[in-house]
Amino acid sequence: MEGHIVRTFDADILNLRIQVLAMGGIAIDQVQRAVRALTRDDEEAAREVISRNAQVVTAARGVEEEIVALIARRQPVASDLRAILTIGRVATDLERVGNAARKIAKLTLELDAGRDGLPLQRFYNDVRKMGRLAVAMLRDALDCFDRVDVERALTVAHRDAEVDSEFQLALRELVTYVMEDQRHLASTIQTVFVLKALERVGDHARNIAGSVPRLVRRDEPAAAAPAPGLLIGAGALPQRDPRALGQG
Amino acid sequence: MGDNTSSAAVRTSLTAVPASGAQAGFTTRTVGEVVVPNPVMSARAVNVYYGDKHAIKDVSLDIGRNAVIALIGPSGCGKSTFLRSLNRMNDTIEAARITGSITLDGEDIYDRQQDVVQLRARVGMVFQKPNPFPKSIYENIAYGPRIHGLVASRADLDEIVQTSLQKAGLWEEVKDRLDHSGTSLSGGQQQRLCIARAIAVDPEVILMDEPCSALDPIATARIEDLIDELRQNYTIVIVTHNMQQAARVSQRTAYFHLGDLIEVGPTEQIFTNPGHKLTEDYITGRFG
Repeated sequence: MEGHIVRTFDADILNLRIQVLAMGGIAIDQVQRAVRALTRDDEEAAREVISRNAQVVTAARGVEEEIVALIARRQPVASDLRAILTIGRVATDLERVGNAARKIAKLTLELDAGRDGLPLQRFYNDVRKMGRLAVAMLRDALDCFDRVDVERALTVAHRDAEVDSEFQLALRELVTYVMEDQRHLASTIQTVFVLKALERVGDHARNIAGSVPRLVRRDEPAAAAPAPGLLIGAGALPQRDPRALGQG
Repeated sequence: MGDNTSSAAVRTSLTAVPASGAQAGFTTRTVGEVVVPNPVMSARAVNVYYGDKHAIKDVSLDIGRNAVIALIGPSGCGKSTFLRSLNRMNDTIEAARITGSITLDGEDIYDRQQDVVQLRARVGMVFQKPNPFPKSIYENIAYGPRIHGLVASRADLDEIVQTSLQKAGLWEEVKDRLDHSGTSLSGGQQQRLCIARAIAVDPEVILMDEPCSALDPIATARIEDLIDELRQNYTIVIVTHNMQQAARVSQRTAYFHLGDLIEVGPTEQIFTNPGHKLTEDYITGRFG
């Protein structure tokens, strides 16, 4: 993406990628907080997730405006144009990750309000596990996006199957559960929505990882030497934290 | 013409690039399809030298009918030299020497029998700077048909002047002042007058060498619109430094680099998915 005669063009693209990575940091954090709020029955935290979603939306609009300006001012073609549109798609995926987090937070409030004295706590482990898988995948996808690591991005994209099979597994358990006691139908459906939202986070992570090859020119040796990365080291993305998803 | 006219097939490939001309009986290092069905002009293994300088290196390229082909590349890449070799404008440069073959409807334009004046009527040219004759608008258009003996009467001539100006999109603006000097028009109008003058002798091909570089954006847009209309009846070869212009007006684009024809292909493909790294470097502004 670098190497233009007009160096400010390089700077513009770099800036755009940094914006998207920062947005990714917020999105990851939102998913983690949403899962934690749900599994700890923390309404306050859930409300915070809902209000913080505006940050993700604002960031997405910012990236969109930046891309419009870049296209208008630089008229990029070929690999440049493809890379810029790809960065835009990554921002869209991250915006939807943010939406998924907001949805989980909303369901947290609804589950709480509609509780019939028999919360679906027995599925919290499934939620936590899916959350862990989806967030780890999203973080790795963004890391690949940051370092333009094409080779690793492909293995990350394949991990979506893990999230999907986890979802199917949980779904079967939920069906069994509700067949035993139909009073839990409403909260079961809502739990399905939570799991589905996390499954979607996995899909977006897959999309992001899958887009990494489109950031490089065809003639560039793919991932021969992944870039050092713009932000991971600088701490803009939340680091792996074993306690992050409420294991306690 | 030159010594290797007949041998058509010329040089071994230097790189592993697929030779698109292989089936047509010659080799080329150019990426993409240099050959088109039923071309109006065909260049084969063309080399142009200015004294010791090798300006065009072994270029083979077909020019398709009723289409616009854009020649792009950095300064000194040979695109203008190649354009000028298509109607023997290089003949006027003493030290220029050309080998290979260029045909128009199958006839060698460098044949000794070829009447160069006739050739330039069939392959017209529009230059970078509008260069109307210091005569009336009418005379600017009438001059060509008259010297080529295309008209029998004043009425015929009037008609040619009118239709040429109409085709060049200038008629409505000048019909009431045909006796005014061509140089009294604005830059954009002058350029359209030059296009009308080229059209007046009913050419098959119009060569345009940076036709908009001296014009403002509105005049440029008019010429670009005109180019698109003209291709219904004519073949247009345009040299431009403005890559967006090449992308806008042409159906095929050819990229020249240091005298080599690096790549040719459908314009959309060249600007979205070029096959050669040099092409990509140039169009994305990375050229060092």
